[in-house]
Amino acid sequence: MISDNAKKQIDSWIAKYPQGKQSSAVMEALKVVQAENNNQLNHDLIQAVADYLDMPGIAAAEVATFYENYNHKPVGKHIIRFCHNISCMLTGADDLISHLETKLGVKTGEVTKDGLISVKKVECLGACVGAPMFQIGDQYYENLTTDKVDEIVDGLK
Amino acid sequence: MIVEIEIDGKLINANTGEMVIAVTDREGISVPRFCYHKKLSISASCRMCLVDVEGAPKPQPACSTPVAEGMKIHTQNEKAIASQKAVMEFLLINHPLDCPICDQGGECELQDVAIEYGSDVSRFSEGKRIVAPSDIGPLIQTDMTRCIHCTRCVRFGSEIAGIMEMGATGRGEELKIEPFLAEGITSELSGNMIDVCPVGALTSKPFRYELRSWQMSSVENIARHDLVGSNLYAQTYKGNVKRVVSGDNDAVNETWISDRDRFSYEGLTHENRLLFPQIKVEGQWKEVEWDVALDFAIKGLNNNILNSRNLAKLGGLASNTATIEELHLMQKLLREMGCENIDHRLNVKDLNNTMHLKSTIKLIELESVDHALVIGANLRLEQPMINHRLRKAQLSGANITTLNVKDFDFNYKVDSHITSPNEIANTLAGVLKTLIDKTKQEFPEYLSDVIPSEHSVTLANNLLEANNSVLILGEHLINNAQASSISNLTAEIAKLTNSSTLNLTATANSLGAQQVNFMPNSQGMNANEMLDADMRAFILLDIYPEYDFHHSAAALNALSSDDVFVISLNSFGSELVSQYSDVMLPMAAMFETSGTHMNINGKAQSFRASVGAPGEAKPAWKILKVLADLLELPSFHYENSTQVMSEVAHQSIQTHEYDASIDLSKQTVTLETIWMHSPYQSDVLLRHAKSLNASQIGQMNTASMSVTTAQSLSLNNKDTYLGVPVEIDSIMADQCVFVNSNQATNAGGSQ
Ligand code: SF4
Ligand code: FES
Ligand code: FES
Repeated sequence: MISDNAKKQIDSWIAKYPQGKQSSAVMEALKVVQAENNNQLNHDLIQAVADYLDMPGIAAAEVATFYENYNHKPVGKHIIRFCHNISCMLTGADDLISHLETKLGVKTGEVTKDGLISVKKVECLGACVGAPMFQIGDQYYENLTTDKVDEIVDGLK
Repeated sequence: MIVEIEIDGKLINANTGEMVIAVTDREGISVPRFCYHKKLSISASCRMCLVDVEGAPKPQPACSTPVAEGMKIHTQNEKAIASQKAVMEFLLINHPLDCPICDQGGECELQDVAIEYGSDVSRFSEGKRIVAPSDIGPLIQTDMTRCIHCTRCVRFGSEIAGIMEMGATGRGEELKIEPFLAEGITSELSGNMIDVCPVGALTSKPFRYELRSWQMSSVENIARHDLVGSNLYAQTYKGNVKRVVSGDNDAVNETWISDRDRFSYEGLTHENRLLFPQIKVEGQWKEVEWDVALDFAIKGLNNNILNSRNLAKLGGLASNTATIEELHLMQKLLREMGCENIDHRLNVKDLNNTMHLKSTIKLIELESVDHALVIGANLRLEQPMINHRLRKAQLSGANITTLNVKDFDFNYKVDSHITSPNEIANTLAGVLKTLIDKTKQEFPEYLSDVIPSEHSVTLANNLLEANNSVLILGEHLINNAQASSISNLTAEIAKLTNSSTLNLTATANSLGAQQVNFMPNSQGMNANEMLDADMRAFILLDIYPEYDFHHSAAALNALSSDDVFVISLNSFGSELVSQYSDVMLPMAAMFETSGTHMNINGKAQSFRASVGAPGEAKPAWKILKVLADLLELPSFHYENSTQVMSEVAHQSIQTHEYDASIDLSKQTVTLETIWMHSPYQSDVLLRHAKSLNASQIGQMNTASMSVTTAQSLSLNNKDTYLGVPVEIDSIMADQCVFVNSNQATNAGGSQ
């Protein structure tokens, strides 16, 4: 279930922790496995990671469902992680999210028909100072407005 | 160190390091809480226990604030109450207000606290969160919308049950407590989650929608399914046990009970209960009054035994789940008639080859061993509460080594040595030889040919390195061809290494049976000899031959013969029992009789009847007393079972001479079948407990064997062995089959 290549990467993470603490590598391991499986995790993959790290499946699932960077449903090539936590909410995130949904013709959690974009609502990304904001890949986009959202999204290929 | 603190104006001494809540609990000062549980780790997540500590700017959680000299705490001032009220309001935001239809209603910690700290009117008008229930098995009902995320169940799983099955997935509003695996919850201790859950999220499935807690009375009782004797409460209503919850006793079961002890009561109302005395007239069963049945029994005894003074042809056999009182009266009745054929050891293949190792360690001391050698036991399933103690020892660093036929699933780290049954005696002899070698003493004769294997040397070194070790013998060894040598070798090793010993081979109330000498003296016959002796009459106490006897076919034969008169006292009806019996006397089952159980530490725990027996069934001690009266035996003037017990307490215990020789040359078998009943089939009440048997453990039915053994028997994974589905196990000893079955023994032991 986990490819040799993925195992190699996971092993290098395990090596960073003291012996017997291999389960500390769970976040990275889940990331590695997700990257190899269409950017998506499922029950069996989570269990496989847990088995590899010798930890209970549910403990890996707790991590995998807590953090927004793990996907449990099909996602597009680009994932727009829209913050809807307190600062962003107060500065209009909800309206922007509706705008984005209408523009793309999808609801949050869904993928556009062409498979290019999906939208996810996430909790505070620590960029309140630039609220409202979202993240695509490793990039933060702050102080969003409808125009700015349109421009960024239209630029995605 | 002792510190002095002040709580609500009262000066109190406390130990440093103690949490405030432990002190208030001890002092009887009430502090509300949800996530805190005295036997679980501290999570401090619910914030219900906030108290005001002078000098601290914010209220502090009592469950995670350690006491310090001079600390001044207020649990009831304005600040404390305001915080508690605020937390309560928060908790109720998402909690459904459906107490009238919730099974926890009336015994819900949230309900209780809400009455004290909650407000009458909710300020929250938004929609509430709903969580779909998950089906986690036949024992626990979930209603996860009611969960308040205290994580007690999660911590119970990872800390006590030793398998983390429940977990908190998702985050924030989406946070859910759920199991990850489709099988749901499989732990043998799972029912304790019902007790720890403060709300109605986890409740007893068999008890669902039955009653309100205040409608029932709670009666203390003792579990008799194993040799621990866990303390519990039977909750009863109109003469029926409706639910069982755990009792507290640190020396016995702490505050946990196994699922076996919790859910066995379901069997009490099974349709197979024997409800009326019956006699067999010309091959036909007739329900009759008690006096008719008893007269019939006496007449049978007279005709077959007493008139001809042929007492050598009378036998008395009892189940080891019987109470001390029942066993005492039965042996007294038989002995006063002049009969010495008495036994309770029905599942032992060779009674001249038995394990009589003494248990020298208290249950609570098991927690502090630094090494244990477990031989022939799958502790988790067979003795869950003892396993729990050993798990604690392992978690605090003990090294646990096992000598088993297969790699059983322990819920802690063990160093597993896979050994076939016929190598065990030799392995232990090797250990003994290694040990003696180190002391440069003479070897006894029987060790001269022994060459210690690598295993043996490792095991010996482990023992030598330990300061406080225990040697544990389990049930898989009872019918080992070298059982008594194994037992004697273990005693020798214990002597040399200063280890304690724990003998788990005689379960349930076997120690009670030994205490009242429910065994033949040198003139009498043991159970196996009786089966071969062409007897003319038997008195049987709650026996079901297809499950209870090792030699079940021989037993059936002996009991079914035409000229043998069989008086059966049974709590359940059974086809076989009615086939061979001449009179069946319905007796009270567990929970329905008063009596005493003796646990592995020799602790005699008496209990009252929680409910009356159904139909015409009577407590067996009364039946035996009346039988004795009718036989005109003189000294059976008991008014209650307590009088029986005080007679037992005053009588001296007979000690039996056992063969302490060790003979390693004894013939070993080439293929040994170890037949273990599934843990929920080990006595008749359990066999009738529906939900337990529907659970994953209850469904267990496999004959495990190694690849080599399977080849030699020409079997593969789709076949059956003695009627049990074969499971080929890659980590298993050769020359043996390990059967864990929820079926009758059938051909099981009789080879
Ligand atoms: S199910 Fe019960 S015990 Fe488990 S977290 Fe929820 S409220 Fe606590
Ligand atoms: S609330 Fe949106 S970044 Fe903090
Ligand atoms: S009981 Fe103290 S925080 Fe929950």
